[in-house]
Amino acid sequence: MSGPRRFELAMSPHVISNQTTRKIMFDVIIALLPALAAATWFFGPGAFLIVLVSTATAVMAEYLCLKFMKRPVSFALDGSAMVTGMLLAFNLPPGVPFWLPVLGSAFAIVVGKQAFGGLGHNIVNPALLGRAFLVASFPVLMTAGWTAPEQWRFGDSNVFDTHGIPAVEIAAVPQADAISGATPLNVLKQSFDLDGSAGIARQDGDLQEAGMLEERADAIRSALYSAATYENLLIGRRGGCLGETSVILLFVGGIYLVIRRVLELRLPLSYLGTVALFAWAFGGSGWFDGDPLFHVLSGGVVLGGIFMVSDMVTTPVTPKGRIIFGIGAGLITMVIRRWGGYPEGCSYSILLMNLTTPLIDRYTRPRIFGEVKDNG
Amino acid sequence: MTKARTFRGGTHPPGSKNLSSGCAIRRIPAPELVVVPLCQHLGAPSNPIVAKGDRVERGQEIGSQNGFISLPTHSPVNGTVSAVEDAPMPHRRTGPAVIIETESEDGGQVFEPWSDHTAHSPEELVERIRLAGVCGMGGASFPTYVKLSPPPGKCIDTLVINGVECEPYLTADHRLMLENPEDIKLGMEILAYCLGVDRYLVGIEENKPDAIELMEKKGCTVLPLKVRYPQGAEKQLIDAATGREVPAGGLPMDIGVVVQNVGTAVAVARAVRDGEPSLRRIVTVTGRGVASPGNYDTSVGTPFSVLIEASGGYTEDVERLISGGPMMGISLYTDEVPVTKGTSGVLALTSSEARDVSEGPCIRCGKCVDACPLRLTPNLIALAAENGRWDMAEEFGALNCMACGTCSYVCPSGRYLVHYIKKAQDAIRARGKES
Repeated sequence: MSGPRRFELAMSPHVISNQTTRKIMFDVIIALLPALAAATWFFGPGAFLIVLVSTATAVMAEYLCLKFMKRPVSFALDGSAMVTGMLLAFNLPPGVPFWLPVLGSAFAIVVGKQAFGGLGHNIVNPALLGRAFLVASFPVLMTAGWTAPEQWRFGDSNVFDTHGIPAVEIAAVPQADAISGATPLNVLKQSFDLDGSAGIARQDGDLQEAGMLEERADAIRSALYSAATYENLLIGRRGGCLGETSVILLFVGGIYLVIRRVLELRLPLSYLGTVALFAWAFGGSGWFDGDPLFHVLSGGVVLGGIFMVSDMVTTPVTPKGRIIFGIGAGLITMVIRRWGGYPEGCSYSILLMNLTTPLIDRYTRPRIFGEVKDNG
Repeated sequence: MTKARTFRGGTHPPGSKNLSSGCAIRRIPAPELVVVPLCQHLGAPSNPIVAKGDRVERGQEIGSQNGFISLPTHSPVNGTVSAVEDAPMPHRRTGPAVIIETESEDGGQVFEPWSDHTAHSPEELVERIRLAGVCGMGGASFPTYVKLSPPPGKCIDTLVINGVECEPYLTADHRLMLENPEDIKLGMEILAYCLGVDRYLVGIEENKPDAIELMEKKGCTVLPLKVRYPQGAEKQLIDAATGREVPAGGLPMDIGVVVQNVGTAVAVARAVRDGEPSLRRIVTVTGRGVASPGNYDTSVGTPFSVLIEASGGYTEDVERLISGGPMMGISLYTDEVPVTKGTSGVLALTSSEARDVSEGPCIRCGKCVDACPLRLTPNLIALAAENGRWDMAEEFGALNCMACGTCSYVCPSGRYLVHYIKKAQDAIRARGKES
């Protein structure tokens, strides 16, 4: 060797684990695939196309933003935009026109993510912000695009057109025509509305009317809180957003993420646990007689719990903070479901809690090693 | 064997120890020119007491102790001083050194050998250890005699000998335990005698079952430890051994524990039994960037280049040269730096081994928070440091960081978290001095 050899300098550590942001993002995408398969099975190829359009739009919007801001455009393919696009589509009713996911996805990326500085800097979950934007701007489309599961294959002869609630049990409900909602949670909300009407009737002294309304509300709820409903919810035969159909397949994705060490269990467990506990305590007509299973299985809490409550960027990094976040989101979800104006509160609960993340992080830092501990 | 213990947090970098763990320690003769640093220990450099042209003998003091946290320096060879000047050092800066032309390597016994240390008082032994220039050989190079002189009122009840060697690649301590358990045991007994403790044990990770078995056979109490980085960090080792936490900003002494490396124990044994100052150490030369990795018994002052040559030279694809292990080691631009008492390894990494990841934004995954053995929030401290918010970095506990590198290792975005935190530490300390 001629002359003294010179080496380039570098900072320690000189080795690094093989986990990368890109791998994490692609793991999340893989974990979303079973639920995508369920969406396609129950809602048809149209649902798949909505996801595809939404994802493609997200990547394109990310690319254009990066290009415009003269940042490395390779970020557009790091998988994070794809995750946002997929999650936005998962939060849409299956029957929406294609321009809706395009608009929502573009809003999610441009306003929800890139406006704050791109990956890692956004304050709230971009996909949920995109959804909130669509709900606010196109309320009718966002609440009327529900499709009955498997309608696309069976047409009018579909046996599941009661949106997950077994047809037989619905038929047993007196004045079943009162059920005009399209998702199990809509139906539940209607039962609460009937309770409200009953209360007013009782005040007016019309006890007979009140008794009838209450009876109907209870009949609807017992149809909802039944093994047949649970089965449909688990499998995915229900009306609802695209991605929230099959609880089993969502859990399959979740387990994959746990194995890949991407999903940290504190967030989803504290969230779903709070939902269940709240449902049991306050979800029924009295105290502690609610149905936790129905509340966990229905709506978007499993999708939200696995993929959005545990979104890394917008949730706390401290162990204690994650539990607080999950509990907070769970409480808000259930307050909205039980007493709020919307049948489902999952996405708003997460958006609201996202805003508290910096504060939670700051005040839940772990006790530093060696700080005030008795060595007795 | 008792159940292996450990600490909370940490990570599992691949060990890569099999490159050199099977290589018996080979003694390297001192090269023609040795560069003896006057600051091989933590603290003030010793003052040179020889000049160009002086003849020196092996074991002769060539630098005198300069203050409490300092040590004398000795010549590792018989020869002639060719210069006293600044030279490049393995910590990347230059430092004062005595450069000696080697003639021979015999002798070295400059103190009276004490075959039975119990015939002497602990004070005499601590003084011998000071005069012999023994400092911690695990990496931090803290003068050993200071650790053996607890201020009055501090009661020490436990001595832990550190044979953990949790840095990947390094095998010097492992080989030392396999090849010289007697000296480790003697050194441990001397150290325990100096401190007046009855409870002393050797902490060894379970990835060295042969060392655990051998040390137990020699009658040492072994504390088996789970393989986890940074198990060998003083605080984490004490936590595993005693369940006590060293107070933030405090010393192990404050909770009655002293930790000494296995190499230090050997140096102590030699200083007392053989009357020889600390002149040698075991160095692992490894990585896929050298042709044949090995473990070497070398004189301090031996240039890294000599060790690289002994290991068959560099391979074609060598990219990075490191003094120490891959987690905390310092990358060097040249191999013309000398082995010091604290040099545990010389690492030549190829491009496929060394980290080659560009930095991305923090995605707040929290992996660093879960992994930090001191339970800091590295991502938040780094973010504060990046934005010059030293106040916030301090509030988040930046000064507690020991720079073990666990956070940077686990970061999926490849962020240089340790670097930012160190930067914050410098800024906070500088600000403290100003005010």
